[in-house]
Amino acid sequence: MKEGFRQAMAWLHTWAGLIFGWLLFAIFLTGTLAYFKDEITHWMQPEVQAHPLDDARSLSVAQDYLQKAAPTAARWFITLPDSRDPGLSVMWQDKVDPGKRGNFIQKTLDPVSGQAVEARESMGGEFFYRFHFQLQMPYPWGRWLSTIAAMVMFVALITGIITHKKIFKDFFTFRPRKGQRSWLDGHNAVGVLVLPFHLMITYSSLVIFMSMVMPAPIVASYGNDTRAFFNDVFPATNNAPALGQPGQLLSLLPMYEQARAQWAGGHVGRLAVNNPSDVNASVNVFRASSDRVVHDFGSTVSFNGNTGELLRVSAEPSLPAAIGGSFYGLHMGHFAGPVLRWLYFICGLAGTAMIGTGLVIWLGKRQLKHAKSGVMPFELRLVEVLNIASMSGLLIAIAAFFWTNRLLPVGFAERSDWEVQAFFIAWGLSLLHAILRRGRQGWVEQLSFAALLFAAIPLLNALTTSQHLGASLATGDWAMAGFDLTCLASGLFLAWAAWKMRHRKAPQAKTERARPLQLKQEAN
Amino acid sequence: MKSKTSLPASYRLAVTSRVLAAVVGGYLMASLASICLALWMPVSRADAVITGMMSSFVLYLLAVLWCFACRTAWRAWCGVLLPSAAFATLAGLGLWMART
Amino acid sequence: MLLALLMCYAGFTALCLSTDRHHGELLHSRPSPRRRIALRVIGWLLLTVSIWPAVAVAGWGLGLVEWCAVLMLSALLLVLLLPYRPRLALLLAGVGLLASPVAAFATF
Repeated sequence: MKEGFRQAMAWLHTWAGLIFGWLLFAIFLTGTLAYFKDEITHWMQPEVQAHPLDDARSLSVAQDYLQKAAPTAARWFITLPDSRDPGLSVMWQDKVDPGKRGNFIQKTLDPVSGQAVEARESMGGEFFYRFHFQLQMPYPWGRWLSTIAAMVMFVALITGIITHKKIFKDFFTFRPRKGQRSWLDGHNAVGVLVLPFHLMITYSSLVIFMSMVMPAPIVASYGNDTRAFFNDVFPATNNAPALGQPGQLLSLLPMYEQARAQWAGGHVGRLAVNNPSDVNASVNVFRASSDRVVHDFGSTVSFNGNTGELLRVSAEPSLPAAIGGSFYGLHMGHFAGPVLRWLYFICGLAGTAMIGTGLVIWLGKRQLKHAKSGVMPFELRLVEVLNIASMSGLLIAIAAFFWTNRLLPVGFAERSDWEVQAFFIAWGLSLLHAILRRGRQGWVEQLSFAALLFAAIPLLNALTTSQHLGASLATGDWAMAGFDLTCLASGLFLAWAAWKMRHRKAPQAKTERARPLQLKQEAN
Repeated sequence: MKSKTSLPASYRLAVTSRVLAAVVGGYLMASLASICLALWMPVSRADAVITGMMSSFVLYLLAVLWCFACRTAWRAWCGVLLPSAAFATLAGLGLWMART
Repeated sequence: MLLALLMCYAGFTALCLSTDRHHGELLHSRPSPRRRIALRVIGWLLLTVSIWPAVAVAGWGLGLVEWCAVLMLSALLLVLLLPYRPRLALLLAGVGLLASPVAAFATF
């Protein structure tokens, strides 16, 4: 029975892994890039200047701007610049009839001049962040699909552990240059050695959207009043309503300082002002999520906007809320400094490689059987095309996104949309190319093209902006230099991969045949 | 996957049945179990709900593993529906007690 | 994080050497039962004690996260080095152990 159990788990691992593997590869790769989304945005909007951080100045600049631009708005939001994101972001929500949701308008300000920043329109790194859980699909379908994919990933991880018979014996085993064996060793290595990260990232992604995908307990416990649940968990959203009388909003700076005192020197991430022109205006000061590992959703200090009176300090989270917050915080990694952030990035790449190697192994095993006949059945050809398009095709799309950012004119109004469209057009063309070219040619050509695109990015940067590698290294702009260097390194890696692919021996039918995995035949 | 002989229809039906049991039945079981946790845990309402939601995914995983590890597709369905019924009863009891 | 990294890497190397297969690859001999036990104990000890410098500097929350990251990455580094540069892999472990007191001094 033991053998049957393991075999069944292997079957489940193989099929779940294949069907969702292409999507999960994309989610993992874009999610990994999202760990450096601020740095990517910085490269894609080189016009935004970083200044030494001065929260007091930023706050007064933001308040002045909002007072002039949106005095009668329903809500203001001010996000202070930090070491990774130099932009001072202000946002406001229009006041509309009760029950209707007003428009949100966002502007990035220069924290010194107080003027809106004139930078080229671009989604920057935010594109990868949003894509990895929304998948460019309308709300809420993308989130549903990515969360379903996360559940399948969870199943694939656990079945993979169950299936891996010699998980301890083979812990340090990696045998390169041995064909399929090496691919499996590699898959196992990036899987097992980085397992804590994979389990954390997968389970936490389920927890992040749990209110959406598992609402049953909320309904059972709160009935129709789901709003009450969210007020319980996020007390800062429960604000005093407007009284309809005009009021005068005090300076936000003393409130900022009082909040910091409450947190014993913790940092302020953003402020939200509700009904700023009303006598019942309320100000919520949110703690920076980079302060602690456990993401505390409720960590706010609330004030009355007109009197400056301290209304509420949120309590320490309960254990379940802290556990939920830990999942959220660990997944987002806001607390990570530069070294730890790179480690997150490497772990994410390991997860991406785990999925990619799995897809390659799935096909490789079955290709062996057809090596002699030379004709690939339709299903395997489909898998091959999808493998190429979802992996090397995605890499080409990412590079195209960056190239478009530098090639489109700075003043072009729809450039942000066109950057995103270029991503998908490039991806689509890669799919077409994969259909038209024979397997190995498809791989070699796409990997080579991706290598070229990535390796040339520093050159492209030098030709189109003044912040080329020499300049960024000289001024210590590590984000800019790091981006150029990482692209160069990626290009070199892809070139190596293309070269290896080109000189690979054609798959030989092995004497030891891989037995086809199949569930136990049903009794009847 | 055999390339020359295609798999019999009964096999495909059994696999489909297991998949449905895992995906739909498993979700049902996980939801009902999380409702039980939310109603019965001796902590605040919000905390119980959060705990219920967070733990549900482990139960979902166990249901999925069962559906493919057990010997027949019938056993797969029994393995998710019977616990679901038990959880549903417990949940109903919890709701009734909360009302009185 | 550096001290924890050095200790984790050395610990994993010790555990790796305690297996017949890898001991044979790296040192071209079979480990005696006593050596095997000694390597296992040293390996696990290094891995466990490496938690301390991580937590002492950054607190329990951040410290444990950093320790986990360092643990995973040191294992990955060792496994990738082993087939290509086995002597370098061993050398790094040795140098790491020697450098640990210096790293400890710098940290505390």
